[in-house]
Amino acid sequence: MIAPAGVQALQVLTVLCGAPLVSGVTSHIEARLQGRRGPRVLQPYYDLAKLFRKETVVPEGSSWVFLAGPVVAFGCYLIVPLLIPVLTTYGLPLGYMGDILGGGMVLALGGFAAALAASDSGAPYAQLGASRAMTFGALTEPTVLFVVFIVAMITSTDLPYALAATVRSTSEAVRPSHVLVAAAFFLVVLADTGRIPVETHSGTLELGMIDEARTLEHSGAPFALTKWGSAIKQLVLYTIFINVFVAPWGLASSGKVVDVVAAVLSLLGKALLLGVVFAVIDNSFSKLRLFKITEYLAAAFLLACLGVIVFYVGGA
Amino acid sequence: MGPVPSGYASGADVAALLVLLTEFAMLRAPQLRSQVRLYAFQSLVVVVLTAVTGAVRCHPDLYILAALSLLLKVVIVPALMLRLLRELDVGQLHHPAGGGGGSMVLVAIAVSVFGFFALRSLGFHSKILPTATLSVAVAVVLVAFVLVVLRSDVVSQAVGFFSVENGVSIVSMAIAAGLPVVVEVSFLFDLLVAVVVFGLIMRAHHARAGTLSTGALDRLRG
Repeated sequence: MIAPAGVQALQVLTVLCGAPLVSGVTSHIEARLQGRRGPRVLQPYYDLAKLFRKETVVPEGSSWVFLAGPVVAFGCYLIVPLLIPVLTTYGLPLGYMGDILGGGMVLALGGFAAALAASDSGAPYAQLGASRAMTFGALTEPTVLFVVFIVAMITSTDLPYALAATVRSTSEAVRPSHVLVAAAFFLVVLADTGRIPVETHSGTLELGMIDEARTLEHSGAPFALTKWGSAIKQLVLYTIFINVFVAPWGLASSGKVVDVVAAVLSLLGKALLLGVVFAVIDNSFSKLRLFKITEYLAAAFLLACLGVIVFYVGGA
Repeated sequence: MGPVPSGYASGADVAALLVLLTEFAMLRAPQLRSQVRLYAFQSLVVVVLTAVTGAVRCHPDLYILAALSLLLKVVIVPALMLRLLRELDVGQLHHPAGGGGGSMVLVAIAVSVFGFFALRSLGFHSKILPTATLSVAVAVVLVAFVLVVLRSDVVSQAVGFFSVENGVSIVSMAIAAGLPVVVEVSFLFDLLVAVVVFGLIMRAHHARAGTLSTGALDRLRG
């Protein structure tokens, strides 16, 4: 048996250590789909190790905010796995510390810290990226709020554990509002992780950059933290999508070692599967023009909005 | 926590929602051709819903309706429209004038919300289809009207008109599934007439204005 506190620590550790693997596998598969050999699956770990050994260069005139930003963002992204069902079906001691809105706020705080650091660098591209990220972030907020509303209406609470339990218990009948909400959240994840309809995450095309541009000025250990942080954010969003909305199966229902290990493996497996889906999407669509992104986000909002209405009208 | 809907009811709801989402996609479709294809897809969803409802609720005449609509709405009408577009060779029409970006979608959301709540206050309950399906179908009709009103090209107006019929056929299935087949078939015949009329209008407008956009209609002619 593992104590609840131990499982909780393991949730954070799983996300911390698994995130680069998920990014690595995804980019490897993406390269394969494009007919390239692609980087090794473990490449993100080597990158991080290399960056941590490099020296840190700070732009002239920037303050401590520039160096604190990545650390704060990294910390924020690590708090979220405490709040969501990463490994267990039952709530862990700190799991009731915050609801979905709390988790969203912590994620947004991380984004805010990264944007502050980018602005403090004084470099034009970093500032452009930060301002764009904030602008489009403000447009995804309404969608996220409506998603939370539906979760609250279906479960009468806004705890992620409760929704996951509801999804598990009603496997034979799909609620239409739930389908819509899952679709809306999928689009939000796609936008928030900087995937293709919104941003080319691996390119260096300055004009279309959003998240990538924010980190341009960072180097050395802070840069490693930003890279690692964005991988963690990606895995956290995947986990919310999988374990709360779509497939909350394979989680540990007790603290037995076998159960917990199985839960870790199943989470990583499901995340990798989702990563493959994202890689396929990456290869089958082209990037939207910057001013078309609002339409994409309007579509996500439409789905969430219809979900709320359908639930309210049909009670389903 | 509300009661969990049964498999059939939630399937019908999802199908109706799919119809509604296709309607929204038509609203935003940049190309006229893709609009017609979306219409074919929407009709296909309606046909499947009709056939499944016929099977679940034991209304064998719905099969006839489904077969006829499959032939007419999924195959013949889209094929005729696509052929017409190819003949007129309009290519990609520029994006419609009225209401750019997301505002058209926002208007449509507002209208469909109105439809949902208006129907809810009427207190209809269908024995055939779940209530949510009925209100989604009403929203489909209203959004189709938005499509007709806001997009300024003849094809959108024709497609909008046809998809009004899709919404109406779901509503009629919900309210009166036992409707005599003759009446249903006469609806479909109506649609066929509409295709002919819209085809004529499209040809005439294109011959006179050289475009399918209705923006050319507000110019005064001496």
